[in-house]
Amino acid sequence: MNKFIRGLIWILAIVLVTAATAFALAGIGLIFGNTFELHPINWFVGALVGVVVPLYVRYRQIPLIRGLFWQLIATVIGVLFVSFIRLAMGLKAAGGSYLFTEHAWVFGGFVGTLAFLAAHGVMGDWFKWWRGIDTPDHHEDPAGWTKFLGPSLDHKVIGIQYTVVAILLLVIGGTFALIFRTELSFEGKQFLEAAQYNTLMSLHGMIMIVSILLGISGLMNYLVPLLIGAHDMAFPRLNAFSFWIAVPAAVWLLMSMPLGGVETGWTGYPPLSANPAKIGQQMFFLGVIVAGWSSILGALNLLVTVFRMRAKGMTAFRLPIFVWASIATSLIALTATQLIGLSFQMVMFQRLFGMGFFDPDKGGNPVLFQHLFWFYSHPAVYVFILPGLGVVSELLPPLIRKPLFGYKWIAMSSLGIALVGFLVWAHHMFTSGMNEYLRVPFMYSTLLVAVPTGVKFFSWVATIWKGKIPTPMPSAFLFTVGAIIVFLMGGLTGPPNATVSTDLHLHDTYWIVGHFHDTLFGGFVFPFFAALYYWFPKATGRRMNETLGKWHFWLMTPSFFVLSLGMMRIGLLGMRRRIFDYDKALGFQTWHIVLTVAAFLIALSVLIFIINLIKSVKNGEPAEGNIWNSRSPEWQVASPMPAHNYDTPFEVVGEPYDYGLPGSKYVEFMKK
Amino acid sequence: MTHTTDKKSALSQGVIIFIYLAVLTGLEFALALFLPNVILLAVVALVKAALVAYYYMHIYKLNEDDHGHDVGHESLAYKTGSNRLGLWLFLLSDSFVFGGLLVSRFNLLGMEGPHLNQYLGFGVTAFLLLSSFFMNRAETSMAHGDKKAFLSNIMVTMILGLAFVLGVVGGEWQLAKIEGVIANKDVAGGIFYMMTGMHAFHVFTGLIFLFFTWRNGKKDYFTAENHWGVEAAAVYWHFVDVVWIFFYPALYLIGVAGG
Repeated sequence: MNKFIRGLIWILAIVLVTAATAFALAGIGLIFGNTFELHPINWFVGALVGVVVPLYVRYRQIPLIRGLFWQLIATVIGVLFVSFIRLAMGLKAAGGSYLFTEHAWVFGGFVGTLAFLAAHGVMGDWFKWWRGIDTPDHHEDPAGWTKFLGPSLDHKVIGIQYTVVAILLLVIGGTFALIFRTELSFEGKQFLEAAQYNTLMSLHGMIMIVSILLGISGLMNYLVPLLIGAHDMAFPRLNAFSFWIAVPAAVWLLMSMPLGGVETGWTGYPPLSANPAKIGQQMFFLGVIVAGWSSILGALNLLVTVFRMRAKGMTAFRLPIFVWASIATSLIALTATQLIGLSFQMVMFQRLFGMGFFDPDKGGNPVLFQHLFWFYSHPAVYVFILPGLGVVSELLPPLIRKPLFGYKWIAMSSLGIALVGFLVWAHHMFTSGMNEYLRVPFMYSTLLVAVPTGVKFFSWVATIWKGKIPTPMPSAFLFTVGAIIVFLMGGLTGPPNATVSTDLHLHDTYWIVGHFHDTLFGGFVFPFFAALYYWFPKATGRRMNETLGKWHFWLMTPSFFVLSLGMMRIGLLGMRRRIFDYDKALGFQTWHIVLTVAAFLIALSVLIFIINLIKSVKNGEPAEGNIWNSRSPEWQVASPMPAHNYDTPFEVVGEPYDYGLPGSKYVEFMKK
Repeated sequence: MTHTTDKKSALSQGVIIFIYLAVLTGLEFALALFLPNVILLAVVALVKAALVAYYYMHIYKLNEDDHGHDVGHESLAYKTGSNRLGLWLFLLSDSFVFGGLLVSRFNLLGMEGPHLNQYLGFGVTAFLLLSSFFMNRAETSMAHGDKKAFLSNIMVTMILGLAFVLGVVGGEWQLAKIEGVIANKDVAGGIFYMMTGMHAFHVFTGLIFLFFTWRNGKKDYFTAENHWGVEAAAVYWHFVDVVWIFFYPALYLIGVAGG
């Protein structure tokens, strides 16, 4: 049988299974009192089964495929289980166009998540421990690329897994943005329904947030053990678990689309989110709660790793700055994340059980939700940016060949931002109707954040001062400098939002959208790319293509300036955010077209980056030795590094960033 | 009292702490009836929590010296130290959930409270406190290599814990329903079931944890030197008790004099 016919048979099988499942679901619906109809969810679940089942038949030895298959099966079982119980109890079991009730879907979702983890095998060693069986400390990874699809315990493999999924979600979230950005180019309805627009806009937000959380976890996982000289993270199994639990989370976030969508924006405020009309909202909550656990457990692991696994002589003020930033970020992620989970869970229960937490009719208080939600979701932006700012401080000294200016101040500023960040949440609520006496204290606490952030800027500028600009400028350097400039714009546009008198006018306009994208591009996207260009040779032993890197930078940066400044401009002119349509008479129609073009140019630049990434993994120019002439320990050994990292442990004997000081040394490898 | 090493004094220390806790719980109850003051109740709860954290959960072990410079970080003692830190960080994280629930309770209900049966509340509290006492005995026994005492004490802990869960779901919840505290009626009902439910869920997971610890103990998995599993189960169980130390006054005792 030749390949073509075999391919045809596979496609035919997928189509047949899809259709059969869609019809079977409609038939099952009859049991619970639905009418026999083919809804989008029938086709969606059908297509999932159609793709996953043949994949399972062919590739079930791959843990990822096995996990997804059992996630699907267990979800269906869970959904049917609750539906049958409801049927037996005489409760409503029919879900109309969503086939089943909310209760069934939420329960199925939790069961499916657990099934993914159990079937995938990431919990295998724990199951053995519970049964009283000891396992070896380390497992050999399979050779080749398939180790990336399985429960590897190597922090470098997990770091790459995180990073790849982060880029994947970046592409998905970015595509959503392109779709609704195109819709917005012209006033009036173009090709999206309002509800579809809302869903894409909401999921753009949340998928990007998860992407960023995974992105920083990728960097921290890969780099922190290398930088502190550990052979792995403190809890390798928990590390693998933290990554793999993010996969079902991403599935649930996307599942919210065929189940009616999410219309609330990423913030999910009740009462809109408590309106039981759309089940997609519940899948959204579920996805965020599960992704939250990934973040919490990852942060826990990182903190223990830094506290317990440092090389000899690596005292607090000889830690690399990136590690300080990771500590600060992890402190927030470990604790505050629980509160977005709790706030979403309370809305979830309000919908499922009628508990009236945020329902004024029952004595509830919708503003309470906002307090709980922002208690995480404001510090969350520091979770997103602190590692990025750490990358900037980490890369400048080796690239500029000068010591980092004010090391201790930089180290403390990360912690300062993290701690002050816990006290600023209500600045999101100046217009929400919360108690007015809260406004001024929260205004001042918010403005206080500018102090430690300013410390970072002064240090960067002083580090660059009279430094040696590398020629030709490597892409890692371009993105580092780009991060500083873009983040400066994000920083300067912040205080007007923190000040009550101006915020009352700026709130909920595109100004805020522009400011926010500035901070996250400057605080995450640019440093993320800088870090990838810088450490890619460490991970693969090959360099990325510099020409494509320059195309990436010089296309993305000006486009981004047009996008964010344009957003702020139309915001000041009265463009409200999160809305589907605007009045042409407001006079910013042209700007919307410009913004859309800029967004597509950014997407093009990211596409160039991804092509570069894929090409360089295979055919990049080999990078041998200490290509950046860095003092950091990971560059003193060959790339890529083996499992458990350093063959011989090292000892820290000097300051980390004394570039240009003759005779100074940071690390010294011990003799065998 | 300092942390003791010989078995007999370690066990009797557990008894003394239990008596302190019992007296403080009684004091709390009396305060709520005769001198209702939130700050006093909070102080008593904090003292109780501190006693449990220090004498039952051995928080000071976090600060124990690792003895020497374990460059590879591979020794069992060093790994146990890391595990301990990890567990405490997890508890720190988890306490933000319970903290959030407490904040919600005061935001929504203020100084009012749901109308609940005081005897039942006192009863389930006593069960949980007792179970913590036996958990401490179990851990102390294992730390001194007394497997038999460990198994019987952990069994008592499990029975008391199970009685607590059944008491909450089968007794407390049913009685509350009769007295008009209904989940979907008003916010007082909602917050009551949410808080007790979240806590009962943690007790339930603790029970699963205890069950595996008991079974592995039967299989001779633990020794006096190496019983991290027992210590972890004990610390987690006591943590769930600490949560109840705050939830009990917040749900039962505040607002009781007014209603």
